[in-house]
Amino acid sequence: MISKQFPFLGFMRYLIGLVIVLVVSACIFSEAALAQKEVTSNIYRYRERKMSPGYYEGYEVKPRSNLPFVEVPTSRQELIALSPIAERVRRRKYLADAHQGLRFYNRLTCIKCHPGQARSLHNVRAKITCRQCHGPEPIAGIHHYYSSMNPRRRYAQICAKCHEGASASFAKYVVHEPSPALMSTLKAFPLLFYVFWAMVAIAVGTFAAFLPHAFMWGVRELLPDTFRWNLRKFRSKGRKKNETD
Amino acid sequence: MKRIKRFTPTQRVFHLVLMLSFFVQSATGLARMYGETHWGHFLASFFGGYSGVLNVHKLVGIFMLAAFFVHVFYVFIKIDWRGFPKSVYGPDSLLPRWEDVGQVLQHLGWILGLKEAPRFDRWAYWEKFDYWAVFWGICILGGTGLILSKPVVSSLYMPGWVLNVLLWIHRIEAILAMGHVFIIHFFIGHLRRHNFPMDLVMFEGSVDLEKVSHERPAWVERLEKQGTLAGNLVKSEPVAFRVTYYVFGYAMIIGCVYLLVNGIVNVSGLLE
Repeated sequence: MISKQFPFLGFMRYLIGLVIVLVVSACIFSEAALAQKEVTSNIYRYRERKMSPGYYEGYEVKPRSNLPFVEVPTSRQELIALSPIAERVRRRKYLADAHQGLRFYNRLTCIKCHPGQARSLHNVRAKITCRQCHGPEPIAGIHHYYSSMNPRRRYAQICAKCHEGASASFAKYVVHEPSPALMSTLKAFPLLFYVFWAMVAIAVGTFAAFLPHAFMWGVRELLPDTFRWNLRKFRSKGRKKNETD
Repeated sequence: MKRIKRFTPTQRVFHLVLMLSFFVQSATGLARMYGETHWGHFLASFFGGYSGVLNVHKLVGIFMLAAFFVHVFYVFIKIDWRGFPKSVYGPDSLLPRWEDVGQVLQHLGWILGLKEAPRFDRWAYWEKFDYWAVFWGICILGGTGLILSKPVVSSLYMPGWVLNVLLWIHRIEAILAMGHVFIIHFFIGHLRRHNFPMDLVMFEGSVDLEKVSHERPAWVERLEKQGTLAGNLVKSEPVAFRVTYYVFGYAMIIGCVYLLVNGIVNVSGLLE
């Protein structure tokens, strides 16, 4: 009788049953899943195998004290047709020791010179330290041929430590993503800039339309239903005023 | 007290599923987004920590997508294909009509005290907007979420930097959806004078005939003309059920407002 009245009752039962099974199985298997996670999780495993020693300031961030005898790049500055800033930044990406020749290097920390880079999701969420990807001293420039961060092998030697099966395409994910709201991102990552502002415009547009609408509606419902401004009265008052003027 | 049937049990179950899954997705998404703050840690602790919260977010997201496809299937089997395409443009359909544009303007005029209240039929324009907003939201959030849930596989078909872009689309769309539901939908649905303290129609499935005649006179008149009004009248639910609906409904509203307020309060923690 009831099933005739509500032809979708059978489907409803199925849907409710599905929800119950999901909830119950989540309760039963959650403990096992948590225990298993320590073994199977890539991030857990990476932390175990390539653990930060914990002495972040003293060991992780500060570089070695003895620099190898290598030529200081600034001495060749005149030979290269780059602006002084580009000279300092770009060329270092190709060095075997990207920080070679920096003054008081052993007193610096990574985030002292690269504060924006520490804001990456890898660092903030997975607590991956700089060294865990960029390697020990001397830290090679990311474009140095033998660097494990070189795009040729980054996906296999770095990304795949956590993201099993990572491809070269996967390694194109921008780990140190620029802030999408900044004008500088228009040059560095134009699509991110445009998409971010387009989405913000949609969100702001929706709220700009519906918030005042809802607020005014709420206020209007506090007034009598038949309430209307007497516009004729306003107009006649205005006319009279004009005539007297 | 006469009551008129407005939603079928299946439609109410769909709303319940959407409501619960949206709440879980909001809580887990915010826990993930605010993972750097104390509030984010606290929120994540309910779901087994920072990794657990992502697992729940992914699972419930897939469940939500599955429910969405079931709903689309339900809509397709509910369409009167014999009368197609006229049947989907009728007043019982949620498809937008030209009349809605006129009703938006007239309703705005009524709000400003310049015009008489529009005579709404079964579905008003804000309800149609809310319904289709879910379609838009699920397509954007579900699509981007599905790609982001398996980044290694996804990046076989697109460059990795697309994931950066998709994550921002996912975030901003989620903020838009939460803001709209937690502020605008709740206010219009429950807190304005006409519906205060709570519109139970989505739980009970029926609404007071006197109330609906006031807000949707065109619908009641149409049913009277068709001679189907008497067939759509139902009895009120038992008091115990109504109390349960109030308790559950307010628990959901309080939970969502808690997420909204803490989301706003802790924004500074994200920008540090």
